[in-house]
Amino acid sequence: MAEFLTIAEASRRIAARDLSPVELLNTCLARIDAVDAQLNSFVTLTRERAVAEAKAAEAEIMAGRYRGPLHGIPYNLKDIYETRGIRTTGQSKTLADYVPAADSDAQERLSAAGAVLLGKAATWEFAHGGPSWDVLFPPCRNPWNLERDPAGSSSGSGASIAAGMVLGSMGSDTGGSIRGPAAANGIAGLKPSYGRVSRRGVLPNCFSHDHAGPMAWSSEDLAILMKVVAGFDPADPGSVDLPVPDYTKALTGEVKGLTIGVPWRWLEEEAPPSAPTRAALDAALEVFRAMGATIRPVELPKLRAYEDAKKIIAMAELYTIHGPELRQRPELFGASLRYRIIAGGLIRAEDYIQAMRLRTELARAMQAVFTEVDLMMLPAGEPAKKLQPQPPDSLFTKVGYTTAFNVSGNPALALCMGFDTEGMPFSLQIVGRLFDEATVLRAGDAYEKATPWRQKRPALVS
Amino acid sequence: MAETTEEELKVLAAKAGLEGLPAEYRAELLSAYRHLEVMLARIRQDRPQADEPAHVFVAATFARKA
Repeated sequence: MAEFLTIAEASRRIAARDLSPVELLNTCLARIDAVDAQLNSFVTLTRERAVAEAKAAEAEIMAGRYRGPLHGIPYNLKDIYETRGIRTTGQSKTLADYVPAADSDAQERLSAAGAVLLGKAATWEFAHGGPSWDVLFPPCRNPWNLERDPAGSSSGSGASIAAGMVLGSMGSDTGGSIRGPAAANGIAGLKPSYGRVSRRGVLPNCFSHDHAGPMAWSSEDLAILMKVVAGFDPADPGSVDLPVPDYTKALTGEVKGLTIGVPWRWLEEEAPPSAPTRAALDAALEVFRAMGATIRPVELPKLRAYEDAKKIIAMAELYTIHGPELRQRPELFGASLRYRIIAGGLIRAEDYIQAMRLRTELARAMQAVFTEVDLMMLPAGEPAKKLQPQPPDSLFTKVGYTTAFNVSGNPALALCMGFDTEGMPFSLQIVGRLFDEATVLRAGDAYEKATPWRQKRPALVS
Repeated sequence: MAETTEEELKVLAAKAGLEGLPAEYRAELLSAYRHLEVMLARIRQDRPQADEPAHVFVAATFARKA
């Protein structure tokens, strides 16, 4: 197959007229035709529209009207981003025929930048319940091993990027749904600060914790995407009116002088990672130390407290969103999502508000840590396991490394930190101060350029 | 902490409009609620009266031109 290009590489070549958007699109379409029947990463393919957009981009560029680094770049959107005239299902039977009348904010921005929409990517039902075999579409699979879980809920975004079918995507992250699939599929995914990227036109999971954000092969690509999708949107009540930096200018390759905190008590007492993941983390920290960063421990409240606050708030909000449908037609929901929201209607207002009070306390504790360190690092999760139905109560029993940063709102990046003995990716999580995505991406980019992990693609498409 | 009884749960479910839920889903509700009440017990604690929740009304949001 043709070589794999990142957004940065493709845009340089497109700008230099060394690569046509139509050629690039055809490469992506050929990969989709070759492997996506095995992966199920797309739930809707907008082939004809993409061809028209790529031809239009080519004509504009040849006429000297180059719009910028996303002009002519193929991408997809998690199927919870509303797209005018294109079905948007949330992977749910309840929205099987829903065709929005307007685009989401992200789609408006990407389209204005001249990017080429290839279609809608698989998700978990309403970005919350999964993996599922009883919803509108079959679950997505992992391109590194078709028997493995690509994780959720931005499964299709992660798998399609790793397999080179698109160069970028927009995912969403309420408890780890960008970082989990980024980790499982060996790519990069950024949950920006809460309010940095508009949620307008994104089907809600849990209003108070939903973050829209980009996914791509590298941190450099995320920086390019962020420059376009970040920014104030008055139609999103959580949107924050702050200047958006040129994130690519922050990618200096330097981390010398940065102080990196590691929440060792989480990793050694409350939720120890597997020995291979711990070894991969230690090796990654050594890379940063060798580049001139200082590593030190940080203390935070228990992971379980962050999980409790988020899950109670989420269940109440999810029930508010889906209760009317759930009361009338419970059979339309997949068993996984239904189990995760059905008890939300029984939460008393006092408990919901107590959970929000706890969130305030936990978010403050997180920001206090960032007065002592510039970044925090820990694994994003474990390498992908077998794709199979999960026990319905796993939502309540498991403790992960991602949800705490949805509660606190801090930017958090997941990126590849090597491979296990079975060829599945490890993933490093880099967390930053509120609205300091630039330093997070700078560290991610420096690490990727200091390590060989970005040179390897799944054997399925190599 | 005493576990919510099935009778109490029926009252809560009725308040949530779930009194007509078919039996198969009532079992799901009970199972999920058993996990939920463990989390609820962990977060219930005395707090200062003026301790505000994370999301309060922000008037500036409504002053924006949408």
